[in-house]
Amino acid sequence: MSLTNAPETEQPEEPTNRPAPSYRIREWLSRPYARHFLVLFIIFTVVIMPSAWLVLHFMNQSGAPASAIMSEIEKTIFVFTFVSAPLMAMALAILLYSLLGRDWGGKVHGEEPPMQESPAIRTNGTAVILWITATSLLAGFLVIWGMMELATITANSYGSTAPNQQPKDVKPIDINVTGAQWVWNFQYPDQRGIQSDTLVVPVDTPLYFNVTSVDVIHSFWVVELGIKIDANPGAVTNTGVTPNKLGTFNIRCAELCGMHHAYMQTKIQVVSQAEFENWVRVMGGEKTS
Amino acid sequence: MSAAVESPRSATTGEAVKTVARRNRLGIWLCIISDATGTVALLISYTYLWSLNVNNQWAPPKNAWADWWPFWAIVAGIVIATALIWWGIAGIAKGHKGRLAGAAVLASLILIATFVGQIVQLSTFPFGPADGAYASATFWLCLATAFHLAMLGLLVLAVSIRTGKGLISPDNHSHARFVAMYMTWVCISAALGALVATTMLASPNTQMPLFGTFTG
Amino acid sequence: MSVMTTDIHEQTAVPQPKQHGKPGGFLRHTNIFTGVVTGLVLAIITFAIGSKIVPWGNQNVDFDQVGFQALIGITYIAWVIGFMAGIGAFAGPIRWVLGHDLTHADAEYMAGKGQGRFKYWKYTTDHKVVGIQYLIMTLVLFGLGGFLAMLIRTELGITWAEVFTPNFYNSIIGTHGIVMIIAMIIVVAGPLGNFIMPIMIGARDMAFPRLNALSFWLLFAAVPPLVSNLLLGGIRDGWTVYEPLGSQSPVGMIGYQICIIVFAFSTGIASVNLITTAFTMRARGMSWNRVPIFVIGIISAAIMGLVWFPMFQYSQILALSDRMLATSFFNPLMGGSVWLYENLFWLLGHPEVYVVVIPGTAALIELMTVFLRKPLFSYKMAIAGFAGITGISAIVWVHHMYMTGWAPSAGYPFMLSTELISIPFGFLVLVMLGTMWRGKPWTRLPMMCVYAVIWNKIIGVITGVYLSDVPVDQYMHGSMFVVAHFHYMLMGAGLFAAIGAISYWFPKMTGRMLNERIASIGFWVAFFAFQLTFMSMFVAGLQGMPRRVLQFDNAFNISNWLSTIGAYCIGIGMVIFLFAIITSWRNGKPAPANPWGAKTLEWQTSTPVPLENFPVLPVVTSDPYGYGVPDPYDAVEKKMSEADQPVGAGAR
Repeated sequence: MSLTNAPETEQPEEPTNRPAPSYRIREWLSRPYARHFLVLFIIFTVVIMPSAWLVLHFMNQSGAPASAIMSEIEKTIFVFTFVSAPLMAMALAILLYSLLGRDWGGKVHGEEPPMQESPAIRTNGTAVILWITATSLLAGFLVIWGMMELATITANSYGSTAPNQQPKDVKPIDINVTGAQWVWNFQYPDQRGIQSDTLVVPVDTPLYFNVTSVDVIHSFWVVELGIKIDANPGAVTNTGVTPNKLGTFNIRCAELCGMHHAYMQTKIQVVSQAEFENWVRVMGGEKTS
Repeated sequence: MSAAVESPRSATTGEAVKTVARRNRLGIWLCIISDATGTVALLISYTYLWSLNVNNQWAPPKNAWADWWPFWAIVAGIVIATALIWWGIAGIAKGHKGRLAGAAVLASLILIATFVGQIVQLSTFPFGPADGAYASATFWLCLATAFHLAMLGLLVLAVSIRTGKGLISPDNHSHARFVAMYMTWVCISAALGALVATTMLASPNTQMPLFGTFTG
Repeated sequence: MSVMTTDIHEQTAVPQPKQHGKPGGFLRHTNIFTGVVTGLVLAIITFAIGSKIVPWGNQNVDFDQVGFQALIGITYIAWVIGFMAGIGAFAGPIRWVLGHDLTHADAEYMAGKGQGRFKYWKYTTDHKVVGIQYLIMTLVLFGLGGFLAMLIRTELGITWAEVFTPNFYNSIIGTHGIVMIIAMIIVVAGPLGNFIMPIMIGARDMAFPRLNALSFWLLFAAVPPLVSNLLLGGIRDGWTVYEPLGSQSPVGMIGYQICIIVFAFSTGIASVNLITTAFTMRARGMSWNRVPIFVIGIISAAIMGLVWFPMFQYSQILALSDRMLATSFFNPLMGGSVWLYENLFWLLGHPEVYVVVIPGTAALIELMTVFLRKPLFSYKMAIAGFAGITGISAIVWVHHMYMTGWAPSAGYPFMLSTELISIPFGFLVLVMLGTMWRGKPWTRLPMMCVYAVIWNKIIGVITGVYLSDVPVDQYMHGSMFVVAHFHYMLMGAGLFAAIGAISYWFPKMTGRMLNERIASIGFWVAFFAFQLTFMSMFVAGLQGMPRRVLQFDNAFNISNWLSTIGAYCIGIGMVIFLFAIITSWRNGKPAPANPWGAKTLEWQTSTPVPLENFPVLPVVTSDPYGYGVPDPYDAVEKKMSEADQPVGAGAR
């Protein structure tokens, strides 16, 4: 080989006995327990994932989702269950294998301390790095998803936007919600201040709630529409939602407020626009403009 | 192990006094940290309620804010007593026992006077504890200082008695140091309380809705 | 491993201060009975004198009367001061102020020397005695809390009628909650942190033996005020006693507030003691990389408790002040804010759940190595896990307040911090799973608890992930889903871990072997019943059932019936377990010094443990995880790294 001014050519690597990078993976997979563990892991992951549907089944038993917000919440629960399933499956696989598997030596019973037979593994760099990476990615995914969802829901409920910052194209119906021991009172300031103890609202119309309390902390929970905000004495809090399903749903108090907290419930009736206007008129308010 | 005892040993456990002192010092630091959280809780209460002005009830009736100078006079009293004890400790470290003994006596007199002053301030506020949020928070800042002062009084009395008996000596004066450390913390705690109570008076929030309504 | 360092007999050569009276002084005459009597007497006198000064006539004990509130408050305080005086707690400080320092004979008396069983009824400083005292107190508190739980589930199971009045029901759920929280805070750090930890680090006692006794007896003094609330109208609020609802309760609420104020002092003092002991009293050679992981867990929990408990304490002091002095910290009509209460509360409230879970987890990680005969997997990750949790726990509290409307935009940063804390928590799971990996389990009860706890922890963590997400929390907050989640964490992962830890160290603490057959039956009955109870409760929450309600829609009936059946079975299981503890303690097989073949220091001393723990203090030369045999697969690894050489290298 010339060492003078000839242009440098690619030197072929000297041949070594260094195993191919995939060797380590293949070697690990060749261990019986590794294959068994992976099989268990996959089975458990597949078995756990459908629980997401079960969760939603219970949530929807009383008519949910009745708003875009509730749908977003359900979507989030669904996705979170799916992405969490592998981690849960891995832990369960290890638990089960430890108790029932044979390749690690099997269980030991008895009164006397057993002989030392387990491998003295103090650490495993690959496992640690894989774990940190996987859990960080999972946590990162959950955070980012969560923040995006929160932004979506805040937009859908006008979150904490002040009345003068609400969207101009569709004016929400303003409703003042007052919690008192142990009843909910709803007042419609734009409908001549009519008051009701049942919430009657038109479908597909944004609603904006101003919520307060005249005694202790309550919590205004419109269950199937997926909104909740505390009713605090001495402060006004806000939330909002657009119901997208006709029907009668539940409003429950979600913060212990004294003797009859359990009975501090009422209903929300989502009706058609025409029915709503009719109701307003009957209650003494005017037709909404 | 030879029985030659150059360093004094603890009577109860036989360990070197210096070892025990280091251990006690960590304990004192931990106690100060815990005490600090308590002070922070009161400071949070004061500043948060000041910022909220719930139902417009932050200010005392007729805007009768407390005078600023009693707060700082009390802080000055604690600071002087603390400085005296530190000066006494510097003395005993060099071997002058009398300095610490005298400093402790003087400091305890100052602390008694300061404590009395704090009680007087508490009972002569132009408002009572039931007069709204500012009144409540200021009252408790001063009550906390009063409790601290009572504790300091006892601690400095102990320093005085123990120095007199020779239990606090040039060789072994860690207990005096611990008392001084705690006193230094109490200076900071009282100063922080005085700072908020004399500079953060009228609330910046004038837009709170009235109680039970939806409009301010 | 042991080399002579501090021989116990050297101490008598030290010059002694003047002996005032017989050894022990005033403490020769004090015990729990003198304490109780003094406390009651002082309380009664205070009430009698006070009621002459404070007019509360007309027998109208309307809870609006500030004067009456103040009177009851001062009476409770008098009980506490009287009890502490009567048990001899003030003797030490008074002696210190007066310069009457303790002699070696005094210290030995106070450590219980020569008093036989009676030392458990006195102000005894020996950490082993305090550990046993804490164990008994914990069992009593669990018994009370468990009994209240049975009442709660009875009410919820009888869906067609109200069993209790609403006010009484609200009181029992609140009292159940706080009693269990207190019991869970102390269950591992109290008995085991006190008894085992000093021996485990090779010390003769804790850093501050008198403070040790003080922390226990303060706890003892705090319990009667709390329990008395049920006789004085009840607290009628959840364990969080949110204001201003709390201010509507009758005077029983003051019992709660005094309890917490005193308990906070007890916990703070105990934390100072635990931290200082672990930092300054380790045996020679026990550098930080040789410290057993249990000690690290205890330190983490103690730091969190020390730093944050005053927040909770002040929330109660200020609430009590609102009652007794008519201040308005939490009264919105007069400028107070409910959000102030919630923030002060949850600033402790969140670190507190880690104070509950961390010691038990650390204990399980510790004992896993013994029962798998395998070193701890990645000690560094375990340390990082505990440190990360301790640090981040300070900045997640607002996730309990997502729905309060306090600071809507705070949802984002606190969602981030809450997700972040799952990463160090995951390190601990990694350590547990990694230790279990390829280990041969010795299936005694402590090891079986590990399996149970990991299962519960997984479910608790996943459901916690749901709740940490603000939109999801918007549905789930205030529902039974939250109740099921925290029971999975605090009870499923916390209490069951504590059961594992207690059954592990039972032989060392009591000198007897635990009857594992009966204890296991009780444990497994409780474990499976636990799944039934709280899985059904998740369902009820998903269906939309709020929490803290005694009556509810028929849609939730089935979930509640199943939960109630499960709860009764938990009760049966726990009673069986308690039966095993009690009978084993009295008549169990005498335990050898090291029945588990463990390598930590507490097993290297005899059982029962002598007063001074070690005749000669040990010197440590390695960490306590020297278990296991060389990994057979390591030969394969060696071949692969040897192969990484150029061919014909020798020929160059």
